[in-house]
Amino acid sequence: MPLDDIALFSGYEYIFAALLILYLSGALLSLLVCRSQKGSNAVANVAAAAASLTGIIFCVCKLLIYNGRSFDINLKTGIYPISISFHIDNLSAFFVLVISLLAFVASIYSMGYLKHYYNSRNIGVFGFLYNLFIASMIMVVTSGNIFFFLVAWEIMSMVSYFLVVFENEKPETQRAGTIYIIMTHIGTAFIIAAFVLIYQYTGSASFAEINASGIPYAVKNVIFIFSLIGFGTKAGIIPLHIWLPKAHPAAPGNISALMSGVMIKTAAYGIIRIVFDILGGGYLWWGTAILLLGGISAIVGIAFAFMEIDIKKLLAYSSVENMGIIFIGIGLSSIACSNGNTVLAVFSLTASLLHIFNHSVFKGLLFLGAGSVHYSTGTRNMERLGGLIRKMPYTAMFFLAGALSISALPPFNGFVSEWAIYQALFASAGTGGSWMKIIIIVTAALLAIAGVLAAASFIKTFGTAFLALPRTSAAEEAKEAPRTMLAGMGILAALCLAAGIFPVHLLKLLDGINREMLNASIFQGAAGYSSLVLHSYEGNTSISPAALAIIGLLLIPAVLLAVRYMSKNSSFRNYGTWDCGYRRLDSRMQYTATGFSKPVRIVFRAFYRPQRELQIERGSSRYFFKRARYKVSTVSVFEKYLYEPIVRSVVNFARRMRLLIQTGSIHTYLIYIFVVVIAMLIYYARA
Amino acid sequence: MFKLEEILNILSMLILISAFILVANKRVNSYIKTFRLQSMLLAAAAGTLGIYHMAAERKFDSAIIMCLLIILLKVIFIPGMLNRICKRVEYKVEKDFFINIPISIIICCGLAILVWYVISLIPDIKGAYEIMFLTNSISLVMIGLFFMISRKKAIGQIIGFLVIENGMFMAALLTTFGMPMIVEIGIFFDVLAAVLIMGVFVFRINESFDSIDIDKLRNLRG
Repeated sequence: MPLDDIALFSGYEYIFAALLILYLSGALLSLLVCRSQKGSNAVANVAAAAASLTGIIFCVCKLLIYNGRSFDINLKTGIYPISISFHIDNLSAFFVLVISLLAFVASIYSMGYLKHYYNSRNIGVFGFLYNLFIASMIMVVTSGNIFFFLVAWEIMSMVSYFLVVFENEKPETQRAGTIYIIMTHIGTAFIIAAFVLIYQYTGSASFAEINASGIPYAVKNVIFIFSLIGFGTKAGIIPLHIWLPKAHPAAPGNISALMSGVMIKTAAYGIIRIVFDILGGGYLWWGTAILLLGGISAIVGIAFAFMEIDIKKLLAYSSVENMGIIFIGIGLSSIACSNGNTVLAVFSLTASLLHIFNHSVFKGLLFLGAGSVHYSTGTRNMERLGGLIRKMPYTAMFFLAGALSISALPPFNGFVSEWAIYQALFASAGTGGSWMKIIIIVTAALLAIAGVLAAASFIKTFGTAFLALPRTSAAEEAKEAPRTMLAGMGILAALCLAAGIFPVHLLKLLDGINREMLNASIFQGAAGYSSLVLHSYEGNTSISPAALAIIGLLLIPAVLLAVRYMSKNSSFRNYGTWDCGYRRLDSRMQYTATGFSKPVRIVFRAFYRPQRELQIERGSSRYFFKRARYKVSTVSVFEKYLYEPIVRSVVNFARRMRLLIQTGSIHTYLIYIFVVVIAMLIYYARA
Repeated sequence: MFKLEEILNILSMLILISAFILVANKRVNSYIKTFRLQSMLLAAAAGTLGIYHMAAERKFDSAIIMCLLIILLKVIFIPGMLNRICKRVEYKVEKDFFINIPISIIICCGLAILVWYVISLIPDIKGAYEIMFLTNSISLVMIGLFFMISRKKAIGQIIGFLVIENGMFMAALLTTFGMPMIVEIGIFFDVLAAVLIMGVFVFRINESFDSIDIDKLRNLRG
């Protein structure tokens, strides 16, 4: 008898209700005790941690044991068809798992992190928003009704706006918040339009009951375009990304981890839900569009990231890149689905979901690491850091783990999912027509360049911020972050490694989604999945991350021994290199982050359009100047050539219209109303 | 004994005629008097409806409360307040309208005919009385709107607004025999607040421009 037939857990969905209530009570209690900062901090984070731990257990059980069924909670409201209804299938459960995992870690981290807001900000309000934010994300991915989805989506957007502007006295934070809320509402408008179209043509508001077969071809395309724009805005897909590198750095560290780690993933959830679940996989051009957008986002996002010297901005741009990679996987899956190649569709979707999980883990880790650096030094500018590996060894170690993961190096988790994405690309290149082949090969090339730039970006970040000599006194006086913060990062770093070595266990969690979305399993195509070996599509290639890790571990002492053996006959001398006759090296002689990225800036100057500015204050001779100031800036191409013209033309149009229609006379306005009323009367009389 | 519909029909006609009287008025003081008359007629309609219903069903009907509220607010309080405003702002006898009176009356007749035409085309409205009620009340709304356009002084706009509101109320009262109590009371307080605010604005306009002629507000535009 299968487990889910046992009536042991007939009230399983109540656990889900309980965890939502836990979040909400955490939010309210934190507000109630806001007089005591420590109290608020403890209440908010303990409640969030308990709720998210419940969420993790709930989802793992759902995905492993109860993956054959879905759970529903329905609360009727007076207004048809709006009801508060939750529908938890495997896809929802997976996203709840990702959210809960990062929320659990972020809550532990927050207990320490919030201390630097004591006496300057209201911790109670933060705790309230924090719990509400996590709860709203969970509601987004579990809502079973399109109208409730929109409500949850809007709560998520609004609460995250308030969290972005939490440090509201800084002008750049206000600006970031404004751009964020404008962009997110443009996106929401498109999502609403798409959902209303779905509702209009199917007459059903419940995700589980919608049957899209009656929707005409053209309308399906419109729905797809609208939801791609809407969810693409939230995902930060190029060219709708402009809010992301502004809003994520402006938010507090734990919030940027949650936003970059999981909030933007809700967009991927929306796309998967609409394209695969509701519209049934879609047409060939849908997948191609998603694939191309993903490829462009990957390369452009990481290209911008490489130029940044603000750690959090760099991470934010890198999120654009990773969302691009996720979209590549979704696009490939949709292409395969429209070609009827279910096994490949399953493989691509799995790769994409795997990357969603992995990205949320390592990006969360990196943002938390950046938060600790900011906590200890007060700056996020890597040119003002340096040498932190000696002051903050644990933070440095965890950050390095995150950096290795995001650069897709084995045995960390980023490698596994990017490997899977590449395999999906290679397998797809063999299936389509000649145009499709070209597109897929170009995407693979873009992804390869993006991978190189990602590795370079994180070499730059880690090298400048953590290695060498401290550049400022702030970096010199840095202290290791509190234990709770380290614990949070440590859990994520361990997960990075574990998910990298044992990816097949993750695949088992994901497989229920495949069966639900595409009626196929990843384990059916390739025989012989052991728990340590990962096979690609149809088992052409396989890889064992665990074996790689062991080989790596063996290789390190082997290489060391070899070097020792080969250099046996040469002599050593301890000497300061590169000091060129100076007495000792100081931090000003170090390679800077800006310098590190210069070669790429020169090669791609058509894209970056760098602007240089050199100010020299001359001293006694032209060879000895007192002070020099060198400033280099790159143009954000999309803002300058896409958004600014649009904004300018809208403003001009409004100005001209104001002179034309808004005369300032109340009588004119009244006449407008009068004319409209008369016209309506006549119109309805004719109809 | 008259039929209820006949009485209501006569009252609604009278209310419409009072709107025509309003359009024919030349001075601000007489606007207020005509509005008071119109509100009294409306109160009479609500009262009649309430009494007939109470007699028929032998239980209390909320139309009576409506009647009392209309008397309290629209017959006593609002006209009194507008009178006070008129006394306090500078009073000048001057031409207050853009379109002269005979032409205004003709336009209003045209509006009433248009409304009747539109209403009679709607297939779901069948009864003769219903057509009359709706025509009268929606004509009242249109005439109120027209009155707002044609008058220069701010009091004219307030009265026009109140006439529109009377028209809406009449439509609801006569066709559906009153909206739910809570909705009606909400609307009453809405109107009250709007009139209070507009009254304050009239003072402010008078202070800043030495006149309540709203045509002078044109230079407020940014």
